[in-house]
Amino acid sequence: MKTLVGAVVWKEVREIRRDPVTMFVAIALPLVMLYLFGSALSLDVKNAPMAVYDLDRSADSRDLIAAFPHSGYFGRVHGIGQESEIGALLDRGKARLVLVIPPDFSERLARGETASLQALIDGSFSATAMVIAGYATAIVQDYSAKRVAKTREPGHATHGPLIQVEGRVWFNAPLKSVYYIVPGLFGVILMAFPPLLTALAVVREKESGSVQQIFVSPIRPWQFIAGKMIPYAVIAFLEMVMILVPGLLWFGVPFQGSFALFLGATLLYVSCTVALGLLVSTVTRSQLVAMLLAIMVTLMPAFLFSGFLFPIFTMPWTMQLYTHLLPARYFVVISRDIAMKGVGLEVWWPQLAALAAYTFVVFAAASLLFRKKVA
Amino acid sequence: MEREAPVIEAVGLTKVYGTRKAVDDVSLAISRGEVFGLIGSDGAGKTTILQILAGILDPNAGRAVVLGYDSVRDATAINSRIGYMSQIFSLYGRLTVEENLDFFADLHRVPEPAKNDRKARLLEFARLERYRARLAKNLSGGMKKKLALCCALIHEPPLLLLDEPTTGVDPVSRREFWNILYQTLAGGTTIVVCTPYMDEAERCTRVALMHAGHLIACDAPRKLRERMSGTMLELTVRPQRAALSALRAAYPATRPYASGDRIHLRVDDRGLDEGEMRAMLERAATVLDNLTTVAPSLEDVFVTALPESVAPPVAIAPERIATRSGSAVETRDLTVKFGAFTAVDRVTLNVRRGEIFGFLGPNGSGKTTTIRVLCGLLAPSSGQALVAGHAVAKEPTAVKSRIGYMSQRFSLYDDLTVDENIRFFAGAYGVTQERLSARREWALDLSGLRGQEVLLTRSLSGGIKQRLALACAVLHEPEVLFLDEPTAGVDPVSRRRFWELINSLSDQGVTVFVTTHYMDEAEHCHTLALLYYGRMIALGSPESLRTQMRAGEMLELECDQPIAALAHFQGVPNVRASFFGDRLHLLVDDAQAARPWIVEQLAKAGHEVRRIERVPLSIEDVFIAFIEMEQERAAANASRAQQAA
Repeated sequence: MKTLVGAVVWKEVREIRRDPVTMFVAIALPLVMLYLFGSALSLDVKNAPMAVYDLDRSADSRDLIAAFPHSGYFGRVHGIGQESEIGALLDRGKARLVLVIPPDFSERLARGETASLQALIDGSFSATAMVIAGYATAIVQDYSAKRVAKTREPGHATHGPLIQVEGRVWFNAPLKSVYYIVPGLFGVILMAFPPLLTALAVVREKESGSVQQIFVSPIRPWQFIAGKMIPYAVIAFLEMVMILVPGLLWFGVPFQGSFALFLGATLLYVSCTVALGLLVSTVTRSQLVAMLLAIMVTLMPAFLFSGFLFPIFTMPWTMQLYTHLLPARYFVVISRDIAMKGVGLEVWWPQLAALAAYTFVVFAAASLLFRKKVA
Repeated sequence: MEREAPVIEAVGLTKVYGTRKAVDDVSLAISRGEVFGLIGSDGAGKTTILQILAGILDPNAGRAVVLGYDSVRDATAINSRIGYMSQIFSLYGRLTVEENLDFFADLHRVPEPAKNDRKARLLEFARLERYRARLAKNLSGGMKKKLALCCALIHEPPLLLLDEPTTGVDPVSRREFWNILYQTLAGGTTIVVCTPYMDEAERCTRVALMHAGHLIACDAPRKLRERMSGTMLELTVRPQRAALSALRAAYPATRPYASGDRIHLRVDDRGLDEGEMRAMLERAATVLDNLTTVAPSLEDVFVTALPESVAPPVAIAPERIATRSGSAVETRDLTVKFGAFTAVDRVTLNVRRGEIFGFLGPNGSGKTTTIRVLCGLLAPSSGQALVAGHAVAKEPTAVKSRIGYMSQRFSLYDDLTVDENIRFFAGAYGVTQERLSARREWALDLSGLRGQEVLLTRSLSGGIKQRLALACAVLHEPEVLFLDEPTAGVDPVSRRRFWELINSLSDQGVTVFVTTHYMDEAEHCHTLALLYYGRMIALGSPESLRTQMRAGEMLELECDQPIAALAHFQGVPNVRASFFGDRLHLLVDDAQAARPWIVEQLAKAGHEVRRIERVPLSIEDVFIAFIEMEQERAAANASRAQQAA
């Protein structure tokens, strides 16, 4: 004789096994999503098109211009003959950056004066505009420093800037966005698909009527919910394993921390997301509504408010409060902490505790709302 | 002897949905070992009562004590103990037969050794052993119901609540289903069953008649029949249709209705002037051949007990009378194969214009497949089929414009109003603008919905919906109308009205091709065809089938302890014994010869035989005899083939 939870688990496993199409979709779609989002979502600037309106036409200006494509961040430089072309290039997106070098550029440099440049940046996508502005400034400063060094007469102490920042980026030294997108994506994908599976799990039985036979049996609501939850949590866990390996290999993302800790946290996280789907399923009456509701409460907010793409600390405080309602928010932190920083429980235990509490509350709510009554 | 507490005691049960009282002040007491029937029209409140008793619905007022537990406070205790079958198929389609049983056994904590014993026994009773490993979704309708019953019985509940367990199930499966029930009764189980079948109601120890949430009568079927006021007259009149209209006009209170080729009507205690009636019938140009008094059926009791009068169907103006004579449907060696499986095997039939052709057979015997071919929805593998003079394979479009089709699930749009449904189907069937208004009026008359055009279809009762679906199926004035189990799950009164409509369509020259599991409806058909595993094993009028099949003679027997008595006849050659309510039915070769032997056997065993008499064979008995003969033939063939191998 099995326990009642065991009986439901056993039944679910058999039903799931006989539905290979759903299983295939459950495994394949996360992979597709991982590949698409991992490849497409990038804030990195590489070979950005640029143009130069060089009114100086001197050796100095040519040196400066050459430094841009040399950096790798900018592509081939388009030379401009007249001012009117600037607007046209920016309008059509042919150039993200237009450098205007004034006629007295080399003259001023030769006199030891400060020369100025104009950089026109396409700000239509602010995130990349800022990156471009940053790179452009860095290149110009670098040029300027070298130039200063060269003009000093030998024998004199080198006068660089008085204070130089030796910046070193931790956790993501090459500043590649894919390094933080992919660990975040793990959290988002497991928020997107497992709840969709479980959102149908109870409501399907309501539609077919088989739930009435469950009502007329000794089983308690929590046992039924637990029996539904366990097999789907296992599937969701497998989904994670399925996306973890290609995620790291495809995108060459380094993984600093402990896999065991990561999988352990995953288990708690998927229990939470699966339970959330079950909660949706217990309060709805049709599969269609359950599906839409699940998308509304899991997929959409996971994208926008989990900190996966948009940093939470820059959001208005009301929105920041709201993000606490999303399990993905906690897991994205854990995932990045483990994958990028290689830190352990001592750092992200609050997030883990929040997930545990969350799972318990959702499970309890689903059990309470699953009433063994037809109306 | 001390009196046992009743298994169910309900007082003043009331359940309100919105403004509608689904159940209104119903009190019931049901004792151990009873088979208690709940009968009534759609929306009478039967399902609601069962759900309250099962503890899965809380009443707004009143209380029910089931097996000693309060249905609201101790619902879980009731849930854990009873067996329950909801109206819809409620098993897991993706589990096999055995896995479904295992699941419900585990769910009810049946210990492992007992589980295997019971599984084996139930599967054997239900004749499902062969299908242990089949997925439940691939079972036929009858097998699904039997499996659902086995699942409800796996924990040997002391109380079984069944909600229309045999709706849409063929007579053979239905009989098997009831055999399982009687087996569990022998173990002391109490059964409460909702059913639209009056013959099943007859099998109950007591029945409760329900109407609009009220309990209008509750007693043993025999007592209900005896108590019915007035007497039932049976008339043999030709032509039946004209006589029926004349009788309806002259004596509306008697509610005359057609029963086979006879007419039944109820006269109250004051009686009826027979001479006057004869004169009236003569004036109507009809011939009265015979007039007798008959015992009322439970259905008569039911109709009589209903508070409001059942309005006779409106006279429907004939629209198009088919004048051409000849065949409406003709098939020769029609065969349909799905892979290696032959769904329809060389079926040859010929349906005259204006005929009501009844297409019978167990679930999964190929009836629906045949209809799909005839409607041009499915190409036959071989053979020919002509419908309204056109070959279905070559001219499907010509066929489709001349036929109407109504499926098991009335294909109306619940979210549209009555009028919108009519307009939609008129458009879909290509009714011209000029004809539309006339056809719309006609459809409203037919469905009895004039003045209620703006009602949402979902708010209509099952019986009315069904008539609207019929009206929509004939909007384009088809020559042949295909009805696939049009009355499944519909109450007797609505079914009677529905058949009036079918009869009047037939009078207007429309050919009606109908499948049904109700044997009383089969009696209304001019010709019956019996399909079994894709083959036609009988064809003829109900009368000729009765004479063709020398099934034997039926003895009805009343005695004490009928369950124990039945056991004496199990395995006796040439006697087929089955329960019929609180009586036994014994099918024997020669009633005269068998009677003394039967009485002697029972007397020896200490039973008191109260009554034994010969009763006519029902068409259901004939139907089952045909199938059993076919099964024996198939078994003989199989064993011969085995020997040869």
